Amino acid sequence: MLDDQTVELNLPSKLGYERIVIGGLAAFAKSVGFSSSRIEDLKTSVAEACINAMQHGNKGKPDARVLVAIRFQGNTLLISVFDEGDGFKAEPKDPDIERILENLDPPVGFGVFLMKRLMDKVEFNRTSNHQHEVRMTMKLTG
Amino acid sequence: MNQRPNEIKIESHGDIILLDIRGDVTAFSEPSLNSAYNSAKESNPKKILLRFEEAAYINSGGIAVLIQVLAQTRRNNQKIGIIGLSDHFKKVFKMVGITRFATIYPTLQDALSAMAALA
Repeated sequence: MLDDQTVELNLPSKLGYERIVIGGLAAFAKSVGFSSSRIEDLKTSVAEACINAMQHGNKGKPDARVLVAIRFQGNTLLISVFDEGDGFKAEPKDPDIERILENLDPPVGFGVFLMKRLMDKVEFNRTSNHQHEVRMTMKLTG
Repeated sequence: MNQRPNEIKIESHGDIILLDIRGDVTAFSEPSLNSAYNSAKESNPKKILLRFEEAAYINSGGIAVLIQVLAQTRRNNQKIGIIGLSDHFKKVFKMVGITRFATIYPTLQDALSAMAALA
């Protein structure tokens, strides 16, 4: 439910539009008191969630959308990124740069890796209306 | 949303080649970064310094492109330095392991002095 502490952004599923989200997110997070370093963590994490939604969730479908909901509740910022895909079959393993440099692994998996390290909590869910949701939280005091 | 192509200037500083990368670093940067690296490689440098804009937006697509460049520098036995990153992206580069294969220096002068002393 939308209230006066919730912002929603509905994006085309095209790389680059995640910048619109992180601009708005930074302004929102600053207004509720997050430090500049935590805002940078938020920007990277949410940009990566949007990019994954566009590339892997919506799989390049031209009419698909990415929905981002940002809410401040208590002392916690909650961000949900929804796409029209099915989510992971299995959560990607952490990228191993040594193996990537040796061409043993593809250079993928950095987005989820960074989200999990920069946010306080990251969850991957299927919603009742057949969307995939990445839900991230960051506490103001964190 | 389109990204403007990166403008990358190539400068020689003694035996160090500086790639001065203007603009955001994303998957869209792949052609310009590869092209700049291939141009720099023609003089067979043993030391390459990458300079980013501190305000640049860097995402996982850009990190993947950089790691592919790092893979080439490793095969060519080149030493890599990095300057110009914001504190946030210094942290991100350390998290993903880039700093195991490239050294981040605080300033251009620091990088040129330290890299000039490398064998």
